[in-house]
Amino acid sequence: MEYVNPEGIREDGRRPLEMRHLHAEIGTVARADGSAVFEMGNTKVIAAVYGPREVQNRSQQLNDQALVRCEYSMPNFSTGDRMRKPKGDRRSTEISLVIRQTMEACILTHLMPRSQIDIFVQVLSADGGTRSACINAATLALADAGIPMRDLVTSCSAGYLNSTPLLDLSYFEDSAGGPDVTVGILPKLDKVTLLQMDARLPIDIFENVVQLATEGCKAVANYIHEVLLENTKQLEYRRGL
Amino acid sequence: MLQNKSFVRKTRQGRVVKVVREHYLRDDIYCGASFCKVCVTSAAKLTPSDSAILVVDTNVVLNQAIPIPTHPRFTLGHIDLLENPGIDGVVLLSVVLDEVKNKNLAVYNRIRALCSNALRKFFVFSNEHHKETYVKAMAGESPNDRNDRAIRVAAQWYQNHLGSTTRVVLITNDRENKRKAIEEGIAAETVDSYVKSLGQPALLDLLVHPPSEDASMMEVEDLRPSKKKVIYTEHKPMSEITSGLHRGIYHQGKLRVNRYNPFEAYVGSESIGDEIIVYGRGNMNRAFDGDIVAVELLPQDQWHTEKSMTIADEDDDEEEDVHLAPGSADDAPRVTNLVPGSGRGVSSVSSRPSGHVVGIIKRNWHSYCGSLEPMPLPAGNGGVAHALFVSKDRRIPKVRIKTRQLGNLLDKRIVVAVDSWDCLSRYPSGHYVRTIGDIGDRDTESEVVLIDNDIDTRPFSAQVLSCLPPLPWSVSSEDLANPIRQDLRHLTVFSVDPPGCKDIDDALHCTALPGGNFEVGVHIADVTNFVHPGTPLDDEATQRGTSVYLVERRIDMLPKPLTEDICSLRADIERLAFSVIWEMTPEAEIISTRYTKSVIKSSAALSYVEAQARMDDSRMTDQVTKDLRNMNKLAKIMRQRRIDRGALTLASAEVKFQIDTETHDPLDIGMYQIREANQMVEEFMLAANISVAEKILNHFPPCSLLRRHPSPTKEMLEPLLRTTAALGLSLDLSSSKALADSLDRAVGDDPYFNKLIRILATRCMSQAVYFCSGDLSPPEFYHYGLAAPLYTHFTSPIRRYADVIVHRLLAASLGIYKLPNIFQDRPQLTSIADNLNYRHRNAQMASRASVELHTIIYFRKRPTDTEGRIVKMRSNGFIVFVPKYGIEGPVYLTLRGEKGGGEWVVDEQQQKVRKIDGSVSYSVLQTVRIHMEVVEPQPNRPKLQLTLL
Amino acid sequence: MSVREWMVGLSAGEKHFIQGGIAQDLRADGRKRLTYRPIYVETGVIPQADGSAKVKMGATEVIASVKLDLARPNPSQPGKGKVSLFVSCSATAGPMFEGRGSEELSAELSVALQRCLLGGKSGAGAAFDPSCLSIVDGKLCWDAYIDGLVVSADGNLLDALGAAIKAALINTRVPVANVPAGASLDEDPDVDLSSQETTRIDTSGVPVIVTLTKVGRHYIVDATSEEESQMSSAVSVSINKERRICGLTKRGGAGLDPSIILDMISVASHVSEQLMNKLDSEIAAAEADEQM
Repeated sequence: MEYVNPEGIREDGRRPLEMRHLHAEIGTVARADGSAVFEMGNTKVIAAVYGPREVQNRSQQLNDQALVRCEYSMPNFSTGDRMRKPKGDRRSTEISLVIRQTMEACILTHLMPRSQIDIFVQVLSADGGTRSACINAATLALADAGIPMRDLVTSCSAGYLNSTPLLDLSYFEDSAGGPDVTVGILPKLDKVTLLQMDARLPIDIFENVVQLATEGCKAVANYIHEVLLENTKQLEYRRGL
Repeated sequence: MLQNKSFVRKTRQGRVVKVVREHYLRDDIYCGASFCKVCVTSAAKLTPSDSAILVVDTNVVLNQAIPIPTHPRFTLGHIDLLENPGIDGVVLLSVVLDEVKNKNLAVYNRIRALCSNALRKFFVFSNEHHKETYVKAMAGESPNDRNDRAIRVAAQWYQNHLGSTTRVVLITNDRENKRKAIEEGIAAETVDSYVKSLGQPALLDLLVHPPSEDASMMEVEDLRPSKKKVIYTEHKPMSEITSGLHRGIYHQGKLRVNRYNPFEAYVGSESIGDEIIVYGRGNMNRAFDGDIVAVELLPQDQWHTEKSMTIADEDDDEEEDVHLAPGSADDAPRVTNLVPGSGRGVSSVSSRPSGHVVGIIKRNWHSYCGSLEPMPLPAGNGGVAHALFVSKDRRIPKVRIKTRQLGNLLDKRIVVAVDSWDCLSRYPSGHYVRTIGDIGDRDTESEVVLIDNDIDTRPFSAQVLSCLPPLPWSVSSEDLANPIRQDLRHLTVFSVDPPGCKDIDDALHCTALPGGNFEVGVHIADVTNFVHPGTPLDDEATQRGTSVYLVERRIDMLPKPLTEDICSLRADIERLAFSVIWEMTPEAEIISTRYTKSVIKSSAALSYVEAQARMDDSRMTDQVTKDLRNMNKLAKIMRQRRIDRGALTLASAEVKFQIDTETHDPLDIGMYQIREANQMVEEFMLAANISVAEKILNHFPPCSLLRRHPSPTKEMLEPLLRTTAALGLSLDLSSSKALADSLDRAVGDDPYFNKLIRILATRCMSQAVYFCSGDLSPPEFYHYGLAAPLYTHFTSPIRRYADVIVHRLLAASLGIYKLPNIFQDRPQLTSIADNLNYRHRNAQMASRASVELHTIIYFRKRPTDTEGRIVKMRSNGFIVFVPKYGIEGPVYLTLRGEKGGGEWVVDEQQQKVRKIDGSVSYSVLQTVRIHMEVVEPQPNRPKLQLTLL
Repeated sequence: MSVREWMVGLSAGEKHFIQGGIAQDLRADGRKRLTYRPIYVETGVIPQADGSAKVKMGATEVIASVKLDLARPNPSQPGKGKVSLFVSCSATAGPMFEGRGSEELSAELSVALQRCLLGGKSGAGAAFDPSCLSIVDGKLCWDAYIDGLVVSADGNLLDALGAAIKAALINTRVPVANVPAGASLDEDPDVDLSSQETTRIDTSGVPVIVTLTKVGRHYIVDATSEEESQMSSAVSVSINKERRICGLTKRGGAGLDPSIILDMISVASHVSEQLMNKLDSEIAAAEADEQM
């Protein structure tokens, strides 16, 4: 299969180092404490944050930090073939865990002991890179909820097909069976908080691909900053400041 | 990264599963003209020196005739024309490339090669992603119409973009598209009119001749009006064929023409579960070898009409040439009645259904190699001449071509493509593609051999080469630390190969164990450590299937660094290997078998001669020699046991050339001598292959790649039986064991007699083939020649792709690697096995053709007298086999054409030819003295002639 | 509605304020009893679906999708495609929907919508005629899977879902399946879907759902979740363009006098006309938007 043609153009018209079209909206779930929609091309997710609030299940209460919980779900219409899967299958549980651990690493949980923060992530449409989109949406929702964070975690994936590193794989490219490296970073601190890969890859190429995904994360971070800034301006405006 | 790009998104709708893909449109796709003021010109290929910028439609590129009248876009293509340097300054739109890719991958690869050729000015314009040239399908617009429109929009864009000083021409063969383009103000021309406007005769020859033109050409050429009648029956329309296939009246299948009798073809039909025989060009009804055809069965009483249905055509009744002695039944003619007129052989075939072709579902036309039929030059040289092209491949009918350079082409080997064949003309029409070189020239003829056998000699692409590990490569500490790999460097490992062998696949070791037993190891180059599934390197190797050995050159399956260095188990260098290690008793009984990836260090790369000399020289007592002797002992026992089990000791007449290193001309020719050392190595390779076959089949019963050798049928052994019966010998064919025993008993007066009988027996066998274990039932896995219930190829992964697959299977069965996904896809696996058989067979044909070619070159300067053995009787002579040179050919007792023969009588029963007065007689296997000489009955057509002394 | 009461923790004063406002025909958010919150419709939101729509009513946000799949028709109804409908509630709408927490409400909404839109077992009374999904009678048809997803919940989920499903059906493009003449349909049907053409479902009969929530002596439309927490009972009526009733569901514990039910139906019927018009124009605008 030719995923990058000799002209250096991918199947969908992007060049290897280009990300898909990004779009984000803040405050879409009115009743949540914080919420956001994040789109990377045709991948679209909603994240809602409830909390910090009283811990519901007392036995889970932590006395020195906040309890962060996360649930990821994917409706059966979000992919090409419609499948009925029960909530909480293994893949969902795994992604929930990944999102929770990634977000926990950046929330200043010690500032909110004996409280609970719920992050709910709902995929509406999946076209590759759902993990990254979920993390980006969760970051925005947490920011919208005003939860103190070390930095804005952002995430992006990269792959390696036709001997070319490719940024932000679409579902079509992801299904090629090549490696898919998902990276999450704290852009200001320049630290990697998430790194996942399936498939085999020579170490030097792996480095390039991780580097590329990190660049992608930084670009996402810039975009998220812009969106937050714009949102703040809107809030100011509405308050008549 | 995302700056200054504007995006418009579009979603495409797919099948039941709605496939949605984004489609980004860009503003950074450049026009590729070096003189453009607006665009970035770093990758530009179009220069102002081109008289015009040509935007080509898909039908100009595509080379395939699709017999569906609703697809006028895909008619006949001109890829050969585009490949000619006379055409340049071409813009290929991505919409065109996509269409070409979907319709014909081979043409796509060729056009891609043109685009990446720095010497050619072919530029790819990604119109589908350019924001100004992208068009969205309108309501009710068919995909074809949409693509036509996209091509016109792009052509228009080029004209507007480059301004009126540059001429942009849309080249299309689709009348409708041309009309619309002109209406929209785009300069548009058909290929014909454009090429004619260039006025270069060499280019004009490359034009495809559409059928309509063909009729008019006939009128000019054929002065006999009576001949302009319908020669072939009209093909049935596609709709009728489809419904006929559904109702079971017609049968669909691939037509295969008998390599040795172009008037006989077979169509393997699933619907009747048998082969349908098609006799004669009339019944073949313009179908080519490899075409997918629809066949209608003839009434049963016409099933054996054979020759009478043939269109009488004296020209095609070629005389037999001297050729290399066949190595197996597949190399030999499948002729049923050897002596025309005797009428006895005919009745035996009448039980097989025969049919005639009613329509062609898919053409398999490509280009063919050959030469023009000798003809006098027409008076006005330079004008258009009509000539008949004769392909080297006898399965292909003669092709009618038009040329303006007849004088140049007559003594050349040329390539011709077929364009059309209507029912009014006896021969198909085609066009000249290119010249290879002079007839008889060694390099030219070698290239013909390669083209003829569909062997890819192109250098490996950059993509393939990028899969190689960096050079110089050596075994790394990680390789040694890898737990899957056992360190066997301490063993005394050595290899035994033909002299000068650079691609050393296999090495051996043999250590005496304390208890008197031996540890014997076969170490095979670990190719799959470097060739990973799904990489361009792997894809290329899958396609090539095997390395090809010609007399003077080798065409590798894998790039040279792998073949000769990284994988090759050279002496004194650490190499990665895949090892099969047995513990054997001194009686060569296998006690245990284990398989492991390993690191070895070969201590000697011996030739067969060296190995033999060491074993024979009793003064030598070094480790390697001792091991060799031990191994040889074991091998002899194993060999004997195999023979006892019924393995056939077959023989073939392999010849060897000594080639001048400077001129590459053959200096000497002789039979290949087989030594004990050869047999020793062979024995262990057989054992390794059998062990591996058992292991992989055990682990992966449905998807192992094995090799089987079908038992010969009675029909196939018929010629052998006839010969031996005439000599008063009887052969027992009930099993391979019985046959082997009766072959052993067949001893005559002279020492060569037994070998001759074995050679004849070998010729009757079919070839072994690869297959996927899931496609057949276990009894069919049997390897007749080796008398082994299971067999596969494991020991030569550098030069055979089958071994690479088997390596992967073995690694997976050991749990070292996961089985690649391809093994789950049985049809795909079957098609890989089919391709391997095809490539393997072609490689053998090419090797044989190369040997034949060099034989002729050798004898050109050396007329020789030698001894031959009669192997077959003919009405006007006999076929003589010359053991010394491994060739055979006809010796005529009466001159050809001299019909009045009558002097000689053939006795079929006794396999004798006798002079009517009884003064002289020749019988089969008799030794005769003959004279061999290269003659040129027609200029530039040298051939080897055998005459009786 | 245990879930809703749990979610909205109201003080006695707040409760009184809500009830009083309704009695005064001036609800807490300034609406009259029979006024809807602003309705916002967007279609084609799920690119992978054959039809989809998002409907917002105030802070309530729901998504509906229609997916089609080739199937064999039910032998008892050879000329019709099968239609099924499921609703799920995303946890984003509130922590009480986490895990299995949404199952009860999802099931309740699914059943109510099935009753209002799919009609009886015979297929009679359905929102649209499933015979338009048939490809070859008795052999091949499209099965339609309608999925509803509650993304944000602030009352009146049923009406919002009804509206979203209506919009999604209007948005649905049914691919044209060409069956080659003489092709065998008994096993794996060989259907040509290569043409880009699509048809639409006749949605003129799709009803709207109007839920009247009884709070005290009055009933209101488009109740927020605070208001729903104060209801005594609710009647959901689905009504089509001809103002015919397609389905009816009564929820809530308190019994109702039959005359009140009849009164509620006539009010609902009246309101439905406004809602229908409003919705149709919103959907038409959204469809035009998507074409752009």
